[in-house]
Amino acid sequence: MNLQRITAYAYKEWREIARDRLFFSLAFVVPPLLMLLFGVGLSLDVEHIPFVVIDQDHSQYSRDYAARYSSGPYFNLLGQLDHPDRLDTLMASGTVRAALIIPAGFGARLAAGKPTEVQTLIDGTFPSRALTTKGYLDAINAQANLDGLAKLLAQRSGLTEDAARQRLTPVKLAVRYRYNEAVLSLWSIVPKLLMVILMISPPFLTSIGVVREKESGAIFNLYASNLSRGEYLLGKLAPYVAISFLNAWVLWLMALWVFGVPFRGSLAFFALASGVYVLCTTGIGLLVSIATRSQVAAMIVTAIVTVVPAVLYSGVLIPVPSLGPTGQLIAHALPAMYYTEIAVGCFLKGSGMADLWPQLLVLAGYAAALFTAGFLLMSKRPKV
Amino acid sequence: MQFLLTLRDWMRPMLALTRKELTQLWRDRVLLLFLVYAFTVDIYLAGSGVTLQVSHARTVISNADHGVAARELTGRLVEPTFRVDAQAHTQAQALAELDRGGAMLALDIPPRFSADLAAGRQTTIGLWADTSNSVQGFMAASYITRVVSRFGIETGLSQALGQGAGVAAGSLPTVDNRIRAWYNPNQDDAWFMSLSQLLNIITVFAILLPAAAAVREKERGTVEQLLVSPLSPVQILLPKVLAMGGAILLAILLSLGFVLWPIFDVPCRGSLGLFFGLSALYVFSTAGLGLFIATVARNQAQVGMLTILLLAPMLFLSGAWTPPEAMPPWLAHAMVISPLHHFMDIAFGVMLKGQTAAALLRPIATLSVIGCLLFGFGLYRFRRQFG
Amino acid sequence: MTEGGKQPVVEARGFRKRYGAQRAVDGLDLTIHAGEIFGLIGPDGAGKSSFMKAVAGVLQFDGGSLSVFGTAIDSDAAAESIKDRIGLMPQGLGQNLYPDLSIEENVDFFARLRLVPQAEAEARKERLFAITRLGKFRARPMKQLSGGMKQKLGLVCTLIHAPLLIVLDEPTTGVDPVSRRDFWAILAELLQETGATALVSTAYLDEASRFDRVLLLHEGRALAAGEPSSLSAAQSGTVLTLHDLQSDEALQLARQFGYLEPRGRDWRLFLAGLNAEAAQAAITTLLGRTVQTRASEPELEDAFIALVGAPPAAPPVVVAQAHGAEPVIEARHLTRRFGDFVAVDDANFRVLPGEVFGLLGANGAGKTTAIKMLNGILPPSSGEGWVAGADMKRAGRAIKARIGYMSQAFSLYTDLTAIENIQLYASIYGLSRQQARERARWIVDMAGLAGFEDALAASLPMGLRQRLALGCALVHSPRVLFLDEPTSGVDPLGRRRFWDILFRLAREEGVAVLVTTHYMSEAERCDKLALMFAGRVVAEGTPASLKQALAARRGKLLALEVEAPRQALVQLQSAGVDASLHGRRLHCFVADPAAEAPRLCQLLASAGLAARALGELPASMEDVFVALMTELEAT
Repeated sequence: MNLQRITAYAYKEWREIARDRLFFSLAFVVPPLLMLLFGVGLSLDVEHIPFVVIDQDHSQYSRDYAARYSSGPYFNLLGQLDHPDRLDTLMASGTVRAALIIPAGFGARLAAGKPTEVQTLIDGTFPSRALTTKGYLDAINAQANLDGLAKLLAQRSGLTEDAARQRLTPVKLAVRYRYNEAVLSLWSIVPKLLMVILMISPPFLTSIGVVREKESGAIFNLYASNLSRGEYLLGKLAPYVAISFLNAWVLWLMALWVFGVPFRGSLAFFALASGVYVLCTTGIGLLVSIATRSQVAAMIVTAIVTVVPAVLYSGVLIPVPSLGPTGQLIAHALPAMYYTEIAVGCFLKGSGMADLWPQLLVLAGYAAALFTAGFLLMSKRPKV
Repeated sequence: MQFLLTLRDWMRPMLALTRKELTQLWRDRVLLLFLVYAFTVDIYLAGSGVTLQVSHARTVISNADHGVAARELTGRLVEPTFRVDAQAHTQAQALAELDRGGAMLALDIPPRFSADLAAGRQTTIGLWADTSNSVQGFMAASYITRVVSRFGIETGLSQALGQGAGVAAGSLPTVDNRIRAWYNPNQDDAWFMSLSQLLNIITVFAILLPAAAAVREKERGTVEQLLVSPLSPVQILLPKVLAMGGAILLAILLSLGFVLWPIFDVPCRGSLGLFFGLSALYVFSTAGLGLFIATVARNQAQVGMLTILLLAPMLFLSGAWTPPEAMPPWLAHAMVISPLHHFMDIAFGVMLKGQTAAALLRPIATLSVIGCLLFGFGLYRFRRQFG
Repeated sequence: MTEGGKQPVVEARGFRKRYGAQRAVDGLDLTIHAGEIFGLIGPDGAGKSSFMKAVAGVLQFDGGSLSVFGTAIDSDAAAESIKDRIGLMPQGLGQNLYPDLSIEENVDFFARLRLVPQAEAEARKERLFAITRLGKFRARPMKQLSGGMKQKLGLVCTLIHAPLLIVLDEPTTGVDPVSRRDFWAILAELLQETGATALVSTAYLDEASRFDRVLLLHEGRALAAGEPSSLSAAQSGTVLTLHDLQSDEALQLARQFGYLEPRGRDWRLFLAGLNAEAAQAAITTLLGRTVQTRASEPELEDAFIALVGAPPAAPPVVVAQAHGAEPVIEARHLTRRFGDFVAVDDANFRVLPGEVFGLLGANGAGKTTAIKMLNGILPPSSGEGWVAGADMKRAGRAIKARIGYMSQAFSLYTDLTAIENIQLYASIYGLSRQQARERARWIVDMAGLAGFEDALAASLPMGLRQRLALGCALVHSPRVLFLDEPTSGVDPLGRRRFWDILFRLAREEGVAVLVTTHYMSEAERCDKLALMFAGRVVAEGTPASLKQALAARRGKLLALEVEAPRQALVQLQSAGVDASLHGRRLHCFVADPAAEAPRLCQLLASAGLAARALGELPASMEDVFVALMTELEAT
């Protein structure tokens, strides 16, 4: 390893990037722009679910029961339907995503002290949304039942309604939310966006690098000189790692200032981990570039191996433990998951080296593996 | 008749160019192989690897009470929603486990829990939920809340009304809310995952293939040869879209025939013909975006960066993951320009909801308008660039 | 060439290299000694590049042995150990340079990459800049350089670490004659200064005379080797230039002696194995009359073709009928500006049907831009380009259907087969299936593609590829043909066939041909020429009239043979003689060669330089070109 050759190559690469005005601007504009769009748009909160009620009972009971759903922020009552006929088209078009059907006799059965049923139809197209909707429905229904039972108990035992309610909740659950005390979607999503964006943008910066030199013939400068493969890879990678590392800081500042997410952990550790992480993600692009023959193929491979997995298998939308076996395998094979744990730990949990060193170690190992693979795939004296 | 002859003359060169693009794609074996991989294996992985239910929420319990009631309560935290695989001796230990990321929930049962309960005294148990993943943490906490509340009601009722009196189902005025999910009654995640992954892959290829093909022609200089010929810009650009569109449609068929139908049993409740027709429309619209990129970019590196700038928001903000009503209104409205936003409605509508063209008129019309605008703009830029 | 115990720099024994089933080099033996310029010449695909890459240690080979500086190159590690002493300039103009970096940044990068100490690098850089005259452009980005400057920059970057062996793979392909000459002069000077050895290949055979030794590579084997003069001498014979032949006489000559090359109204004929008198006698006997001839020595190109074995030549085109006097291509005050830069400045010229019109000029003189304006790719800033009676600014499809164009960039789809390319262009131009089949057959026949129909265009040798590209440009039988450097990098045989086709098209079918070239031997064959300089047309006329103009302006050409040509040149120039270096000879412009010859020999002799006058030489197009360009550059 000769430092002068590495810096010579890195400097050349840097000058080239800086001269390509559009590319250079994009390298710095794309990450913050994506951060802004995703930070604002990638919210998983499901609220204001468009909702209709089909009340076939028309009793005070049914009206009171239905009103429970529309009083909160979760459901947005569009109106009453007389008949379930039109529901088909309304659901299909997405105008309505949940419909409560209260059958005739609902109030009468409750008045008689008998259990009864209602039906809620929800749009199951997007399972995550359906799941959340289901959770809201269950919670509201449970509350209705508790109130109903408290009233009943009060009647039967002569207690006040409050006392009766207390009797029915002998166990109080003191829920404390940790790390994200106000349960803000933004706090949870923003630290992970650093992971997503640093997984998407850096590989695209590097994925063309080597193929382009192979196509143009500039690769002969590597072949013909004493620049070693290792020096070449380091020199080639350095400017992109620098750009991506700078971007990591920009994103960090945006997380703090634009989105108001707290940073509670060790900044030094986070900086180190981010450096190793961008080394991994730029390295993925470089490896693709070494392994492919045409720029088109390099780009498409990069898009498929980074963009989608960055979101799917990294713990942003779905926690890794909830993934199936193959999903788990992919998650563990990508650096994204480890950095997610680091980012979340540093931002929200106040963790540092003491808690997160295993993740950092994996990332470092990953970077080393990428580097080795790139090294082995290259030849300074090819057959063709 | 004269018109038909002219049309034939107009079409012939385009068909030849389309065949040329397909031949070139066929000869790029690496790309071809990756195309097949993406449309089959990659979709299989997404469909089989991801479940979206709250499952296996790791829970750590520090139980200082050793009474029956505490055991009964904790016994209710069952798989697959919860996974209780850690018992902590102290609350501090449980919280440490939470900090370490080993658990999402920590439940602390105080020493006198069973005794208090038996004595009819209200007792408090503590729950700490890791909300660094807000939705999951919140959902898991509310599951526990429901379990505890049900446990409480049952205990309270049996104490208040006498052992066994009326606690049995069917004798109390409770409402059972039967929830039915339409279109995917078993809430099979594979349906959603494989379909949405298919849409993602279609999008990636529909943008990149025509963009790269056009830029390659620019870089190699063959475009000049086409420019001096009597062909119009439409005749030069449209074949790329036709060829790549054809290849992508074939790949969709491959994906449906080998992955979505046989492995995941995804239904096709609407017309398959309609699905393919509309897929073609989508590929056309998205390819317009690709051509637009190709006219802006001078080299493939720029193509790459411009692509992710457009692709990433398209993939993740078009509605599969984040419901439009959860976005700020301006962004929700802005996403209307994303072709994927409309194709999502179309694809899920035809496949799962069995919708007809008439019912999908709105997304179809919007998609057509976007496609024509993008393609028109691509043509305009191409004309301007080459005189 | 004494081997005197000195270790050879490169030694190859039974060297073999194959790509799949294709043999590139098949058992090559050669030895290169310290300090010499060793030239590899041969047709496309002969294996020159493969061997040179192997010598530079950037390509694995399959058999035989190869040692460089006494190190056997048998492993990556062995290759690595010699790379610090080697400089490689790969094929393709400036392809290993970085287009967005400036001249100086490129050089600095190579210096740092090669670990040249700063002070040494600076000194060497300035010295190289001074010799190549690149210094004043040091801040200019490489992509804005002309071909000649790119090539000089490539040389500077290759030499910045003072390698002992430099490997230059076709460094002059696609570069104009002035820049080429300049390049070789610079290279010779630098090599002399440093004592380095050079392994060089070229597609321009006239350049081979500048090498100390050459090896002719053909189909992966050495066909001949030795000093350039011995090589051409080995193929003894005479070149005759014949005036005023009747067409039946031309046919008769071609039948008897093989290839007869038309040059304007003259014909050029190489008679192998005959001296000048015998050759002239043979002609007289055959034709039964005395034809006005001029005899000259054969060029290396003639030797090359004779050695490689020329295929039976097609009968020469003897039709010379007029196809009309209305110009089919006309540039009227054609101007194109890019920002402040004027690429084409008020260009005017006209091409008649059946005429082969050559557009000459250095790289960046505006030839390509002019062609692009004429065929409608680029709108002119002002002025008009008329083709087949229509203004190209407003030209409809009907006009475009009558134009054929072969762009400078290789314009075929390399991942399609030969026949697929032809069929594609046939469809683009709306030929019916029947017509397409007929044209395809014609093109395969014309371009000599039989047997290669289903080969991928990428796998075809350069010469075949160019003819296929020409075929594609001709698929719709255009009346007007634009060819932008159609023969760059093509070997002599390929070029000869290419030009025969052009002439047939022009003469027999009346096609108007506008062609650009850097081969002055090709320029000789054009009916009319226009020279462009800095966007302007600076001279126009037939080759003969341009030569006459040169004689009127500068005088006649006297050739001198000297032992130390470089010193002699300095000597003559300081005495105010209009002289230039051509290999080992000096060309001097003088008013009266017969009278001046003794005086010049005397002048040199007094400086201790032995010289011999070779007499008056007919000026070639190269002389015209170089003279004009140097005059213009001086102003």
